[in-house]
Amino acid sequence: MLEVKNLTKIFKDTVAVDNISFKIEPGKIFGLLGPNGAGKTTTIRTVLNIIKPSFGKILFDSKPTAKTFFNLTGYLPEERGLYKKGKVIDTIMYFAQLKNMERKTAYAEAHKWFKKMEIEKYEDKKIEELSKGNQQKVQFISAVIHNPKLLILDEPFSGFDPINQQLIKEVLLSFVISGKIIMLSTHQMDTAEKLCSDILLINNGKEVCSGNLSQIKKSYGTNFVKIEFDGDSSIISSHPSILHIDNYSNYAEIQLKEDALPYEFLRDIASKINVTHFSIVEPTLNKIFIDSIKQSSN
Amino acid sequence: MKKALIIARWEFWEKVKTKTFLISLIVTPIIIIGFAMAPTMLSSQEDNTTKAIGVIDTSNIYFNALRRSSEKIKLPNGQPNFILVNLNSKDESLSTVKRTADDYSLSGKIEGYLYIINGGTDSVKVEYRSKNSGNFNDVNRLEEAFNNARIEIKLLHENINPSIMKYISSNVPVTPIKILEGGGAEKSDFLFLFFTSFIFILLLMMMILSSGGMLIRSLVEEKSNRLIEILVSSCTPDELLAGKVLGLSLLGLAQVFIWLLIGAALVGTSAVPVYAFNNIVPVMFYFALGFIFYTSIFVGVGSIVTTEQEAQQITSYLSMIIILPIVIAVPAIENPDSILVHAFSYIPFTIPAIMILRFNIGPVPLWEVIVSTALMIASIYLSVSIAAKIFKIGILSYGKRPSIKELIEWISEK
Repeated sequence: MLEVKNLTKIFKDTVAVDNISFKIEPGKIFGLLGPNGAGKTTTIRTVLNIIKPSFGKILFDSKPTAKTFFNLTGYLPEERGLYKKGKVIDTIMYFAQLKNMERKTAYAEAHKWFKKMEIEKYEDKKIEELSKGNQQKVQFISAVIHNPKLLILDEPFSGFDPINQQLIKEVLLSFVISGKIIMLSTHQMDTAEKLCSDILLINNGKEVCSGNLSQIKKSYGTNFVKIEFDGDSSIISSHPSILHIDNYSNYAEIQLKEDALPYEFLRDIASKINVTHFSIVEPTLNKIFIDSIKQSSN
Repeated sequence: MKKALIIARWEFWEKVKTKTFLISLIVTPIIIIGFAMAPTMLSSQEDNTTKAIGVIDTSNIYFNALRRSSEKIKLPNGQPNFILVNLNSKDESLSTVKRTADDYSLSGKIEGYLYIINGGTDSVKVEYRSKNSGNFNDVNRLEEAFNNARIEIKLLHENINPSIMKYISSNVPVTPIKILEGGGAEKSDFLFLFFTSFIFILLLMMMILSSGGMLIRSLVEEKSNRLIEILVSSCTPDELLAGKVLGLSLLGLAQVFIWLLIGAALVGTSAVPVYAFNNIVPVMFYFALGFIFYTSIFVGVGSIVTTEQEAQQITSYLSMIIILPIVIAVPAIENPDSILVHAFSYIPFTIPAIMILRFNIGPVPLWEVIVSTALMIASIYLSVSIAAKIFKIGILSYGKRPSIKELIEWISEK
């Protein structure tokens, strides 16, 4: 288990991370969310032991992180890039050995991953000769080849086409089953929503909300409906029971006022426009994100 | 330490495989051997044609004597170097004669002409006027010829035996000989110093520049694509720094080793004389010290730049410091005991080059070797620890280059 207790990092005159605590258990994907400049990268760097915290502790399996901790972590930074002139196999072997892997094991593992990621034929090519997607795959492999206990992924899906995103998702889910601790930092709220069981939302270095995602959703309020329709959307947006509406021309996410009843609202608008779909939903992570950040910034 | 070795191995092999390395491996010795051969080739390239030189002498005293003395100057093939033509004319004015002579020179009928002013008096002056004022050899020989002619005329005038003339004009050269430890002696000349000193100073500079440039470029690449973060999440910055410096030093050593092999294979040929390896042990010793010192400076500087342009700019500043020893090398040869040369023997930036030079100019007292080595090791220790501190923070800062004030803060941070 990874425990971060009261983490604070101060750079000269700015507090980049302000008293943040969280826990990640094995077999869970933890979402570290927040707008740009919120302190996510600093948090990640501190967890990875790249920089030292000003205050606070980082415990791994109840012990402070030591030098050997390097070999237990895998990191995929947001900005990608590898040695352009390096060969695919050499590059992966280099990073594997830096994580203390034996040459032989690293070589065998590399080939398993080449197969899994469908890039066997590029083994002896230079990185610069590969497509962007395939370069990303090489970098992903180099982050996970040593079977790390803690995996930190910063925007792991960016730069991948939908098919490859699916491939990475499947790999991540297999990691969940094998009991890795996974920390995911992303701006794709729908992905985070689907993958993460716990989240930490930070803004300006401070915690905005944290905990189990389904509990956060419950506590955030109910009365959310999703509606698809044909016709004039202004009829919906002017309805008196609406507290808030996100309107997408023939689709809308709506938060009703606390005393309004969803079925009464449906009956009311169904008489005016053609409703093709109506459902009562939990608030989306996207909405929680936007609302909480706005609130915390004010 | 194991990780430092892994990094060193990667840095070494990835750079060995590059074209830049291969080119510098081959091109550097070619340039250096070229440098060595150039003076010999240039001097043997002297022209083999006799030149027609005009003479305008209104006093009419010098021409015959001048012709005699100039005929003694021979080309390597035995022909006379100059053939003199009297351009004086009684019918025309001096200015017309000069204009005609100028025209002859410009059109190439004559190489140039001697214009003798105030002939026969003590304030005699001679101009050598030609299309290109450059040919030092010609001017020197004509000067010698004229002076010999002048003395001869004077001696004849005073009724002194012309055989004395021969005695006066013969010149006794002074040959510099270097005394060696153990009683030997050898001829000391430019080529000797070139092979024993300049060649190693040049090599040192070229290697520092090429490998330092490589180091900065690779750091900039690693910073711009955040590879550095993956690296420092796998090992400590100190291990990374040690690995890089080690890898680069091995690369430098391999390069020098190959060059020495090439040099050894060519020993005794006109390209590499035997004495080139005379002081190879102290030379290599100071060479290694200099290389490590400058490499650590490049590491510190390389970790604060963020773009290729900045890297180039800073490399060019550093090159100027590295060129400094070559600039002071010439006065050092001319005057090895000057205060300046001794002073530079105590400045870390110039110690390696100056000591390489001094070892080949003459014996260096043991205490100076000890002091300069101690100074060098202390400065290496200092520059490595400063570089490590800058490196630790610099590799993780992006965007703006840090100010001097910020740098001092980094260095003083524990």
